[in-house]
Amino acid sequence: MNVYVEGVLALMGINILLALSAYAILATDRLSLGNAGFMAIGAYVSSYLSVNLGWGLLPAFALGGLTAAAVGLLVGLPVLRLQGIYFVMGTLAFGEIVRTFFQNFEPTGGAYGMRGMFGTSLGMIYACVAVFLALFLAYGMARAGLAADAVRDDDEAARSIGINVVAVRLLSFAWGALIAGVAGALFAHYALYIESGNFNFLVSANAVLFVILGGVQTVWGAVVGAIILSLLPEGFRFLADWRLTAYGFILVAVMALRPEGILTRGMLRSLRRLLARTA
Amino acid sequence: MLAQQIVNGITLGSTYALIAIGYTLVLGVLNKLNIAHGELFMVGAFTGIAVARMGAPLAVSLLAAFVLAGLMAVVIERTCFYPLRNASFLSPMLSTIAFGILLQNLATQFFGSDPSRFPDTGASFQLSLGTLSVSAIHIAILATAFGLMIGIDLLVRRTRWGIALRATSDDPETAAQQGMHPSRVTMTTFFVSGALAGVAGMLTTLVYSQVTPHIGIRQGLIGMVAMVIGGLGNLRGAMIGGLAIGLVETMNDAYFSAGYRDLVIFSIFFAFLIFKPEGLFPAHRSS
Repeated sequence: MNVYVEGVLALMGINILLALSAYAILATDRLSLGNAGFMAIGAYVSSYLSVNLGWGLLPAFALGGLTAAAVGLLVGLPVLRLQGIYFVMGTLAFGEIVRTFFQNFEPTGGAYGMRGMFGTSLGMIYACVAVFLALFLAYGMARAGLAADAVRDDDEAARSIGINVVAVRLLSFAWGALIAGVAGALFAHYALYIESGNFNFLVSANAVLFVILGGVQTVWGAVVGAIILSLLPEGFRFLADWRLTAYGFILVAVMALRPEGILTRGMLRSLRRLLARTA
Repeated sequence: MLAQQIVNGITLGSTYALIAIGYTLVLGVLNKLNIAHGELFMVGAFTGIAVARMGAPLAVSLLAAFVLAGLMAVVIERTCFYPLRNASFLSPMLSTIAFGILLQNLATQFFGSDPSRFPDTGASFQLSLGTLSVSAIHIAILATAFGLMIGIDLLVRRTRWGIALRATSDDPETAAQQGMHPSRVTMTTFFVSGALAGVAGMLTTLVYSQVTPHIGIRQGLIGMVAMVIGGLGNLRGAMIGGLAIGLVETMNDAYFSAGYRDLVIFSIFFAFLIFKPEGLFPAHRSS
């Protein structure tokens, strides 16, 4: 496999993880524009462990992800009390605070960034994608997943049948933070160099756009959206300089014409029926 | 020294106020966020630069920034908000993020990703009062920004359009029954909102002459912070919020550390959202 293809596939895998992290929170009807903050925490913590303390990759990645999840629980408690656009702005503020914190935090390089990380392989990235996706599917079939569905569809009704709406949202938020943290750890040890600017607002926004374009109703929407939007700029190579403009244009057009995203639950059902008939 | 910082802070803050006013006007009418609002600042900045490069006087640059950013805001309304008017508040917000990415890439296409500069204005006049010195550019910015702030305040409080705007903000259905056109009010509100952000962009390039296609991201966020501090949907609150952030920024740079500037501002933002989400001046809502 040549270096170019490998690079595209690696970033695609990391984008799928970011989309899953945004989906975890969206699945409870809350939209976070701060997941780049969790990604940064995972990236910097794992890098500090592997470079400065000589930890192995696996424990470093695990602790990076868990730190992000712990911060998710702490931040989620006050932020999840906010409604509507206030919640969106709360997560946005969180993401910017984390970014500017690492811009100034000397032990992890401050404005100069961090280097010395290495070791992420394509196999590791897609193993993480497979594990998280499997957990999503198992969770979707479990009682807890049904509770999350209920919270998304109608949180008042969910509350009335004894579901702890706050707990469901908080755990989903931390779960999304964990995935973003692992994505950050993988990214840091793939890119070899990180700086706080790698984790800006646009990264959070893209994670959500992957899910919205793919479709918010199923976890496969997140995967499909991340794959399409990662490959789109590459497919537009023939447009040379204009490819990113074309990318933006397509995003705007899809939002206006198909706001529910490409994949819907109904579409998955008919797809499954079609497969059953042909099999 | 302190007086100088206050003048600098108010100058900077007046441009933030112009951004925040537009943010809060749109939010007041639709109760939705226009995340591409900061990009209108960028559109105004580059329009001003392009027109000035053709040799036009400052006033023409300013007018061009006003009109083009205003029109771009109307395009955003027609593309991102109108088709999604019945969807959840999240859909148009995400659509504006996509529109913002589109505008950033378009600007990169035309102006490159290296910082662009405003051509030298040749203004060398300095007003000196003791140790305090205020340049002609600062005076022009202050006069334009405060003139527009007073103008928009009068427009909203005293004119038929202002009445329609406030009526539509309070209750769009009743306003429509009274013969107002919510769609037309929304479009004019977007125009005004974009025009003010465009002027802010053009004015800012006069002093902080480095403009990149991504400048709008931070400016939009700062406008959002100013809006929240002043209270969502509150016009005068947005003005005060903008001035306050300008002062915080210059004081931080002068007496603390420029590196911590945005960490301080976003921490204040977060604290407001958690502890005082209604802001300093909660908007009066009849509903």
